[in-house]
Amino acid sequence: MNYLRELPKFEYLAPQSIPEVCEMLAAHEGEAKLMAGGTDLIIMMRRREVVPHYLIGLKSVPELNFIREEKDGGLTIGAMATSWEIQSSSLVRQRYDFLAKTAADIGSIENLHVSTIGGNLCDGFPCVDFPAPLLTLDAKVKLVSQRGERIVPLDGFYLGYQKTAVEPDELLTEIQILPHNHRYGGAYIKFHDRHAIDITTTGAGAFITLDSDGQTARDVKIALTTSAPVPLRVKGAEAALCGRKVTEEATEEAGRIASEEASPRTSWRSTAEFRTKLVQVLVRRALRQAWRKVTTSSSSGAAPDLWLMHPLDPRIGENR
Amino acid sequence: MKQRVPISLTVNGEIHELFIPPWQLLLDTLRDELGLTGAKRCCIEGQCGACTVLIDGKPINSCLYLTIEAQNQEIVTAEGLVEDGKPHPIQKAFVERGAVQCGFCTPGLVVATKALLDQNPNPTEDEIRIALSGHLCRCGAYVQITEAVMAAARETAQKEVGV
Amino acid sequence: MTLEEVIEREGYSVIGRPTPKKDGWIKATGEAKFADDLYFPGMLHGKLLRSPLPHARILHIDTSRAEKLPGVRGVVTAKDFPGILYGDFAHTRDYLPLAQDRVRYIGEEVAAVAATDMDTAEEALDLICVEYEPLPAVFSPEEAMQPEAPQLYDRAPNNIASKSEFHYGDVEKGLAESDYVREDTFETQSMKQGMLEPHACVGLWEGSGKITLWSCKSSPYVVWRHLAMGLGVDPGNIRVIQTYIGGSFSGGKQEGMPMDFCAVILSKKTGRPVKFVHTMDEVLVIGHMRHSMKIRLKTGVKRDGTLVAQHCRIIANGGAHASIGQLSIFLPGLGLNLPYRVPNVQMESYRIYTNTGFAGALRSHTQPQICFARESQIEMIAKELDLDPVEMRRKNARAGGDVTPSGFKLGTFGFLDGLDRVIEASGWREKYGKLPRGRGIGMAGSGMISGARLMSHSASSAQIKIREDGTVALMTGSADIGQGADTVLSMIAAEVLGVRVDDVTYAMIDSDVTPLDPGAFSSRVTLWTGNAVKQAAEDARKQLEEVAAQKLKADPKHLVFRDRRVYVRHDPQRGMDFASLVRSTQNRLGHPVMGQGSYTSGDEPIAVQGGYGNASPAYSASVVVVEVEVDEETGHVTLAGIWNASDCGFPLNPMAVAGQSMGAFTMSMGQALYENLIRIEGQVMNPSFRDYKMPLIVDLPKVENVHLFDIITNDPNGPFGAKEAGQGPGDGVIAALANAIYNATGVRVKSLPISPSKILSGLEESRSNKP
Repeated sequence: MNYLRELPKFEYLAPQSIPEVCEMLAAHEGEAKLMAGGTDLIIMMRRREVVPHYLIGLKSVPELNFIREEKDGGLTIGAMATSWEIQSSSLVRQRYDFLAKTAADIGSIENLHVSTIGGNLCDGFPCVDFPAPLLTLDAKVKLVSQRGERIVPLDGFYLGYQKTAVEPDELLTEIQILPHNHRYGGAYIKFHDRHAIDITTTGAGAFITLDSDGQTARDVKIALTTSAPVPLRVKGAEAALCGRKVTEEATEEAGRIASEEASPRTSWRSTAEFRTKLVQVLVRRALRQAWRKVTTSSSSGAAPDLWLMHPLDPRIGENR
Repeated sequence: MKQRVPISLTVNGEIHELFIPPWQLLLDTLRDELGLTGAKRCCIEGQCGACTVLIDGKPINSCLYLTIEAQNQEIVTAEGLVEDGKPHPIQKAFVERGAVQCGFCTPGLVVATKALLDQNPNPTEDEIRIALSGHLCRCGAYVQITEAVMAAARETAQKEVGV
Repeated sequence: MTLEEVIEREGYSVIGRPTPKKDGWIKATGEAKFADDLYFPGMLHGKLLRSPLPHARILHIDTSRAEKLPGVRGVVTAKDFPGILYGDFAHTRDYLPLAQDRVRYIGEEVAAVAATDMDTAEEALDLICVEYEPLPAVFSPEEAMQPEAPQLYDRAPNNIASKSEFHYGDVEKGLAESDYVREDTFETQSMKQGMLEPHACVGLWEGSGKITLWSCKSSPYVVWRHLAMGLGVDPGNIRVIQTYIGGSFSGGKQEGMPMDFCAVILSKKTGRPVKFVHTMDEVLVIGHMRHSMKIRLKTGVKRDGTLVAQHCRIIANGGAHASIGQLSIFLPGLGLNLPYRVPNVQMESYRIYTNTGFAGALRSHTQPQICFARESQIEMIAKELDLDPVEMRRKNARAGGDVTPSGFKLGTFGFLDGLDRVIEASGWREKYGKLPRGRGIGMAGSGMISGARLMSHSASSAQIKIREDGTVALMTGSADIGQGADTVLSMIAAEVLGVRVDDVTYAMIDSDVTPLDPGAFSSRVTLWTGNAVKQAAEDARKQLEEVAAQKLKADPKHLVFRDRRVYVRHDPQRGMDFASLVRSTQNRLGHPVMGQGSYTSGDEPIAVQGGYGNASPAYSASVVVVEVEVDEETGHVTLAGIWNASDCGFPLNPMAVAGQSMGAFTMSMGQALYENLIRIEGQVMNPSFRDYKMPLIVDLPKVENVHLFDIITNDPNGPFGAKEAGQGPGDGVIAALANAIYNATGVRVKSLPISPSKILSGLEESRSNKP
């Protein structure tokens, strides 16, 4: 094992704009590493898992940090928006309370203020929390390089353990969520040993849009954390619910299907068997929570003026 | 590769012109360069909260923050909460409520509490607990810590209404 | 009697009142200097090279490349030390400052460097070339005991590092006469001290030969002896100075560690002070941890629940070194059934060497493990015999005045009082068996010594010097490790001398200056050092009394020392202020008023084998009730309420007692639910606070659901009646949680930690067993 060490020596670059970042990436391809919040990267560098010659700091690029509503009603989040900013954003809270809650429960408050959504997505670890709820929202990411820019759906963005679609010369600049024209509700529920800050043992996100009949699910998206080498959409479980009434039995069934689709691994942290059982329970709970939101009056139930959208706060709890 | 770069750092209201390695972490700059040893070198992985300082009022783990990225911002450490030689009401509440045992976690907790009460002067007990969930106290003084934060919140509130 | 009644009756002016910790202010402001906060001019940074292999012969170490690296000022290996084994017990000593010809676990120290900065020191380690010949390794104690297993030490056949036997009454006969006999095996995990301050020290070897070590040591005098032993120098040349200590919980802070030896030897080599600081992953990889144990417990009872006989066999993983394992393996026998009357007892315990990090003391040294086994099993027996577990405990409980078959003299023992308090306060009768599914309540009882009577130096001493302004300089050898020794000992001195706590300064331990003392462990400081302080203060007061009696024309017996005044009891106006009395006395004596005190607890022997003898001057009792909520779909446990009653004799500082009680509780809760040092082939997999999960503030119940009770028994052997408070309150917690989880779910978990996956498996099993 590698013991923690002092940080390796690197050249620190502080670009001011997206083009400048792309220029640096192109100039130092293979030798440069982008640093967003750095909460994971600094530890990886301490363990010499990553030893960049150039470290490109992104905190100095103001145009990467925003949360805005698009003209078409869509929501775009800049890669450098911090977990804190996302959880506090009234835009996010009003539309996707579960995304705000995911952000609020990413880690300690100290972590929230530094960790970013872009960094979280680009880590490529299956245990990080932002991908699953964003997968259920059909989010897309914008990747920019000197070669141009491209929009990539998050579904398909993850290629393998710690492998993403981001090319070495590319920068993930923003996350796009298209407007939803039907009533909807979402939830993300995770399990870990202690009551806060732990790495997610297993997590499940669900997002349901309601058909115009007001009775059945028009569309259902379900995604999992730490249940495969990558953040995983479980499309079989989704299909089982689409066009149906989301009854207790149906959620039970979807949970079962999801647990068959999941392929978690056994490690010293937890066993595949336990994680599979959790998938079943968490998917069911996430679906029920999402369905409750769809079928009750407000699609985001939480009080918008709360200091923190943390699931441990009983005012927004509902962990079951 | 530049071994050292000039930076300007504002800590506890004082501006420091320093010449530091670009890979130096804020925790090490505060401790080794400025002698501010209130922030503790503990887990150095952002899991214990003992190195917490404020950057523009936000609590962060200084073990996971490059000094070079902390320029042009106001940094406050536990030492900086003392005014005219008098401990801050939060520090006072921690002492008087028995929230200090070995004291290794205390400076980080005090600073995190400052950030909490600045943003949220009347936190609920749940909010206090969540706000401090990134702070380990192996002496197990969590109940006393919660009580101290509640007491500090009361005291701060009283001050504001001029009681 | 209530606290207030005792204070009123005895007229206490200082003790019994919640008193903030004396060093609280400078800790809260960040001013207090811990070991890593020390910076000396010209100081070098040291770093240790560790073995990557669990068991290997060291064939050759080449340090030449490291030595040539610019910035490196010194490199040391075992050759730089005299090769003398050091450690605590003469016949089990096996520590060396650096591994000589063999490494026995991953993380064992092999070489050390000192450089001008940490980057260079780390780079230098990369350049040291160690040639190893791997040896077969063994990781589990059961395997290590097999005849064909790899042997760690020639002196320890079958890798038995230490063993202990207790035998009272006739167990065979007792079991034969029992109506019901039950045997269970319990398994406990490896657990770390988890103190937040990593080990750190600064070593200085002056040209004169004087050696100084500044370090965060909870037992500075043990370290002082260890350094002298391992360096082969006279103790008089060594000075150990304590810094502020960021938690200890025993372990490396009460022993000499490789870093301590390397700091001073590298200082000798370089002529500069050398600082070492472990990173937290080093702390978690190296030895010093709670013994993991397999406890086979066989208990015989009468139909009415009367305990008749108990047979216990323990196999503990000792890891690669002896540490204080000889004591570790003796102590479970001591606590096996301390709170209960069991006439026939037998215990065999074995501590086994394996190629893993070594185990030693950790808060409440082996007692939580043994309580987990006993108190879980009592509950199972009660269930089997359809008895009320509370009544079963009550029936067998010991009381003050008891002498146990093992020779323990329980002067006071407030077990039953504690039981009544928590049963009533928790609403046990309304809750037990009546809560909704998923909700449960559980209890456990325990007993604890107030400082072991060690069969070597175990005395405490104290010195008091009263300054002419009436302030008091108090010196003992007991370090404040956060437990509040500074405050409670100052309170004792202040009470006797009639001054305020703030008038007393409590010195950091300095082996050149402060009195000899074993250190801060074994729940000994309040009682042992407290008695010494009381005696020292009385000694000083006696000198003051003589002068005051003359000046006030009163009988010394009628003098009252209180609130910085001395006056005649029946005529309070007739008095003088304390400071002027001190000046008069000092003028009369020709030297400052000084007092001395010590406490030894007699020389009545204790048999290391067999275990007979009074282990401690006093015994505390604790009873804990917890209420839990279990998510039956995930196995997740949430603690909903705590009711913890502890007989601390008399709470000298109720604020500190509450802190200690919750501290002990929280640590045991961590062991019960979360903590586990996971190793695969001897490699620690989770050397990080990310994965070594200690309780967080959110894991505790809310403030209003935490209830602590001080049971006051006024032990005649304690200073002002006080006994221990820092360990006992945690001893029963693991079992109480296990019992509450059983109560909530019907799942009995006999191995630690009680993880969600174990609970869930248990639930599934019970579901599949039901048609």
